[in-house]
Formats: sequence, structure tokens, C-alpha cells
Amino acid sequence: MSDVSALSCAQVRELAAELALGILSGAERAEVLLHVNGCARCQAYVAELTEAADVIPQLAPEAEPPAGFESRVLRRLDGRERSVRRRWIAAAVAVAAAAIIVSVTVVRVIESNDTTTRSVATQAFGTVGSAPVAVAMEGGVVPRPAGWAFVHDDHGVAVSVDYGIPSGRYAVQVTSARGASTSIGTMEVVEGRGTWTGRSADPLRAGARVALVDANGAEACHGTVPTA
Amino acid sequence: MWTVSDETLVAGLASGDHDAASAFVQRFQRRVYGLARTIVFDERAAEDIAQEAFVRAWKHAGAYDPRRGSVVGWLLTITRNLSIDAVRVRVPVAIDPAALLGYDAASSERGPVDHAELADDRERLRAALARLPEEQSRAVVLAGLLGYTAREVGEIEDIPLGTAKTRIRTALLRLRAVLVTEEHTE
Repeated sequence: MSDVSALSCAQVRELAAELALGILSGAERAEVLLHVNGCARCQAYVAELTEAADVIPQLAPEAEPPAGFESRVLRRLDGRERSVRRRWIAAAVAVAAAAIIVSVTVVRVIESNDTTTRSVATQAFGTVGSAPVAVAMEGGVVPRPAGWAFVHDDHGVAVSVDYGIPSGRYAVQVTSARGASTSIGTMEVVEGRGTWTGRSADPLRAGARVALVDANGAEACHGTVPTA
Repeated sequence: MWTVSDETLVAGLASGDHDAASAFVQRFQRRVYGLARTIVFDERAAEDIAQEAFVRAWKHAGAYDPRRGSVVGWLLTITRNLSIDAVRVRVPVAIDPAALLGYDAASSERGPVDHAELADDRERLRAALARLPEEQSRAVVLAGLLGYTAREVGEIEDIPLGTAKTRIRTALLRLRAVLVTEEHTE
């Protein structure tokens, strides 16, 4: 765990293709997103590359699935617990309203003049004064970091996970050195991956904690801001 | 016969409409299953992945945002990620991207593309891939379709990491240029 230097536009553009193709590691992705979320020109650049990258899987040849495929899928959908899903949708709507889902795809939202998202991203990382502090997020289902959190100027927070965290919605909870725990947002993890950026009102200095907490109040992963 | 838009089907899926779910699966099952089979090379695993992709789509339909991309792009990204996770322990293999994605590599010898023939982004990108140097198209397909990292592409192709990164980047920039140019000339 150490300080990381903020990437320059040139460095981000070197990595933008790999970001768009979804092949960067969690730590690299978080670092690049940290820059991209605060730089409109790099956002537009990544958005264009992502548009091209997303077409590549669409080139795969079509194939007829085995007989009975549709009914097997529909049986699985019908067997699911409805109430869970309603809660999920309600939560998704709430999050969308708050415009705090920040991911690779959000650059498109920002590009399309979603000023709410833009202001959140700018608010979080608008001023680049000092290097962000990297925090390894431990405690996933396997003994390796589930991802990284970056704390910038004591208040800006970016969290990126890409391993060992079950899909679902998590509260981003911070505990400042003064001991007060606060939920500062909600993060969505899909297929093991998720990214979130926002701000903590309380300063997050050495010893402060960042955690993802599931709907049952259990910590999925957590990290502690290291001493500079 | 269901003729509603892809976006409307997703809205129906999100609201729990059985007919919408059925129509959604019917509309996309060949593409979802085809992509999974292309990545995992195994029919049984491909069916499991394709089923799971539809279940995920159903669970997350309420959060689908058309501003972020097309329905098919969203659904196939889910499918791709599930497929890549399913083959996480992989033996690096040499691939022929042209055979995998059904384009004619020999067409790189041809003159300018006939734009009128290129109905959509898929056709444009397929034509653009065919016109790339073979090592670049292979690199970008290994990364963009099969999810290999730049380091893995380097191992497969027996080239330094820096070269692999350059090939991936150059290829994607060229593909993007084709899509952007097409949009502007329409």
C-alpha cells in the first residue's frame, strides 16, 4: 500500500484501449478511472474506444441453442423470488436518481451531458492537488485483494473491485479516525466487478476505514488508509 | 409475432412480464448462445452460460440505461464476461480471428470498402477487422472477445508486453476510426 502518482492524460491514453476492452486489472482500472472521471477530454476518448470495443463480441457467429433452451431459461426466471427483485429495482432507481454509479460506461453518460453525474465526478476529483492514496480492499472470498480504494485530498473516494465479491448492492461505508461510521453511497457489483466514486464529508486520513457493506450489514471487504 | 423495440422488451422484462421475457429470450438466444460457444468451445458450458446471461439480464433489467449502449451490446457484454470467467484457467491458444468471427482476411487486399453494403456497426467493424494487419486483428480479438490481457496476448503471440499493448491499442484506434467516420458520413 503506497501513494500512487496521478496519471497524466498521455499515460491514460496509453491504457485507454485496455480499459475499453475490459482487460485492465482492478488496480490499474481504478487508477485510470480516477483520472478519467475528472477529465472531460479523456472521458470522450475512452467513450469512443468503448463504443468500438463493445461491438467486438457482437461479431461472434449466431448459433441455435439446444432444444428446450427457452423453456429452461423461463423456468429459472419464474422460480425466482419476486420480492428480492423488486427491492433491487427500487434500489437501482434510487441510485440512478442519485447519479452515483460511475464506471467505464458512465463516460458516455457524462459525454451526453448528464450534468448531475458530471458534477458528482468533478466534485470528487475536480481539483488535483496531491496524489491519491491507494487502499487495498481485503476480505473477499479469497485471500487476495478484492480491489482498491483511492482516497484523494482526504475527501475524494474511488472504489473499484474486480474479484471475489458476490454480485449485489453494497453500502460504501467510511469510518474516519474520529470513529464515526457513515454510509456515503451505494455501489453495484455485477459479475464480480464494480466501481464507485464520491466524497466523504469527514476527512479520511491515516487509519480511516473504507468498507463495502451488504444488505445484511456484513462487510464484504474493507481497507484502512495507510500512514503517508 | 413480437415486433416491439429491444428497449421496450427490456422494460417488459424489468416489470416481470412473462410474454416480454419469452420474446426477449427468443430474440437474443442465438446470439447469446453463439457468443458463449465461441468463447468456451463447449456446448454444455455454453448453454449454462447462456442461461445465466438471461437470468442476469432479467435481474438487472431495471437498471438498463439506453444511454450507455444498445440492448444487444449490454446483453452480450454480460455473456462475454460470464464466458471469460468460466474459462479463467486458460491455456493460451493461437486463434484465427477471421475464422472465429466470420470475416474474410483476404479482403484486406481489396480497395476501399463499399459503404453502402455496410448496414450496421457489426458489418463496418467486421470489414475494418478484415483490413487490419493480421497480427493487429488477432491481438484485438484475443483481448476484446476472449478477454486476454495484454500480458497474455504477449505470451500467446510470443512478443514483448509493450508490443502486445501497441498492437491492441493501434487496432482498436483503427476500428474506432472506422465507426466514427461512418457516423459522420451518414
